[in-house]
Amino acid sequence: MNLEVIAYPFIFLALYFESFLLVTFFSSPARAKRAQAPAAVLPALAPKVAILVPCWNEESTVAGTVESLLALDYPADRLSIVLVNDGSTDGTAAAIDRYTEHPQITALHKPNGGKFTAMNYGLEHAGDAEFIGFLDADSFVAPDALREIIPAFDAPDVAAVTASMSIHKPKTIFQRMQYAEYAQAITLRHVFASINGLYVTPGPFSFYRRSVLNELGPFKHAYLAEDMEMAMRIQRAGYKIGNALRARVYTKGPPTMRKLIKQRIRWTTGFMRNLFFDYRDLIWSRQNTVLGFFVLPLGIIAIGGSVIVFSLYLFQTAQSLIHSVSVMRAAPLSYALSLRPISWFYFPVTIPLLVGTAMIVLTASWMAVGKRASNTPGRLLPNLPLYFVFYGFVAPIWIIRSVSHVARGARTTWR
Amino acid sequence: MSLFARNALIALGITIVLAGTLVLTVNYLNRSRLNQLSAIEDQLSIDTLSLDTQFSLLEAAPCDSAASSTTLTGELSDLGDRLSYEEGQLGATNPQVVRLKEQYSLLEIRDYLITKQLAAACGIKPVTVLYFYSNANNSCANCDQAGYALSYLRDTYPTLRVYSFDYNLDLGALQTLIAMSKIAPKFPAFVINGKTSYGFTSLGDLESRFPKGALATTTATSTKR
Repeated sequence: MNLEVIAYPFIFLALYFESFLLVTFFSSPARAKRAQAPAAVLPALAPKVAILVPCWNEESTVAGTVESLLALDYPADRLSIVLVNDGSTDGTAAAIDRYTEHPQITALHKPNGGKFTAMNYGLEHAGDAEFIGFLDADSFVAPDALREIIPAFDAPDVAAVTASMSIHKPKTIFQRMQYAEYAQAITLRHVFASINGLYVTPGPFSFYRRSVLNELGPFKHAYLAEDMEMAMRIQRAGYKIGNALRARVYTKGPPTMRKLIKQRIRWTTGFMRNLFFDYRDLIWSRQNTVLGFFVLPLGIIAIGGSVIVFSLYLFQTAQSLIHSVSVMRAAPLSYALSLRPISWFYFPVTIPLLVGTAMIVLTASWMAVGKRASNTPGRLLPNLPLYFVFYGFVAPIWIIRSVSHVARGARTTWR
Repeated sequence: MSLFARNALIALGITIVLAGTLVLTVNYLNRSRLNQLSAIEDQLSIDTLSLDTQFSLLEAAPCDSAASSTTLTGELSDLGDRLSYEEGQLGATNPQVVRLKEQYSLLEIRDYLITKQLAAACGIKPVTVLYFYSNANNSCANCDQAGYALSYLRDTYPTLRVYSFDYNLDLGALQTLIAMSKIAPKFPAFVINGKTSYGFTSLGDLESRFPKGALATTTATSTKR
């Protein structure tokens, strides 16, 4: 049996996902969101907003984070910033204490208890703000970001709004790869928000309606994925999660492969554990069919499919390599290395090759769309090849390790 | 109908059309490759027939046509490579592949016979190799290596005539050749200038089965009477 056949169902589903994405991208809700005027005019009395910044050992970046928040184009008397030092062991305490005199800023210190405890602690000090935003202390926002976020709460049932994230000044190969990946994620978030299909409200600059947070309760440990858990809780309660396409936030992506894999294992295990252990009812949920019948099942299949297809690919590549080497040993090496006329006849046009090529073109297009629609700065083109070369090798590593973590019940750590 | 349900259905339709188009495209490309093979084979068939006829017409002085036969052998090996690739792509049991292999085997046998006739008539001593392989499961562990080694020898020594046959091909002429050459079903099997041997261990071992001086890099391996 041709092993390639095993990949066909996953190829079909990948095509289906891309087709759905395309159709929904051109559907009226997504089109209407894109057509909205940039930095929409705020109401005469802008709503009160509190932005909470949980910090743990972020002495080198927290000042930049705070400065970007102070530069937000929003009435100062309607915006407060709460910095929470979660028992840092470096100079973070001193870094945030520099702002204690600032009228908009409250600096808090607490013993280390994990990110979700810092978020809840900050929430207690958010005063009477109508909207609560969070910003990781290694992230920075564009000046007009908040003016984009607030109008996205355009209906009473919109409980949360996410921003468009990108990688801040990517330098290493892996950061540049993530820059391209994040550009695609901007499109995905925009499209799925238009049909209420988001299951995560990321740490960098996601906002919540205060009344909903009060109703749903505080953040939880949630297997180190408190942002996913809260989003799933919001969805389960029947609320919506929106997206502000042009609200730009820049975050520092992990610079090395080891750190990147660590981060993604945390995300992937967080997704699986929250979904399988605490929110299984969201799968096949009739209340939210987009999540229940499309996003979550496909998410699970994508994880399983990655493991199967990657293992298959490795197996076939190793097998054909061993075979080729054993065959080529039958003649001098110079014969194997000699140049022979290239004929198109031998070009292996197969279904995986055609689909793979189409996927590369589509993915690159989604990245370009995400970057352009969100006005994200930086250059996509030089980073595209890095994404296509490295992502296919690195992503299966964290997916396989995540599956192994969850199956073994292994403890996942933050860093 | 909700927007999601509508989009999901449209997407399903698009996916089915895309998947269908992909399957058709791959099939079309494979078919056109086979057609290409078929066209080459037809041309070779005409060339062989022409050579055959030419040989019959010029029985008195057939040796002038020896050069054209060499060219034909080169084309035959190219066709063999392409056919072998297509066999890997479509499978050894694909009816069109089997038909092309039968035609190809016939061409090879015909070329082999003409070569023998020319050799007898003109006193040339070509080095011919009949190579028998088997695609049946696990029946020939070293056939890929043997085929590769022969390709190397054929490319290195242009006068070498290699004819490869699928032992299990259900073709009367081939089975007659096998019976006449007394080839046992042990693979790989070689008939080098009429001498039968079996198995492949290394290139050196294979080369040692050739007549002394047969493997020379120059093309001057034939002499006229």
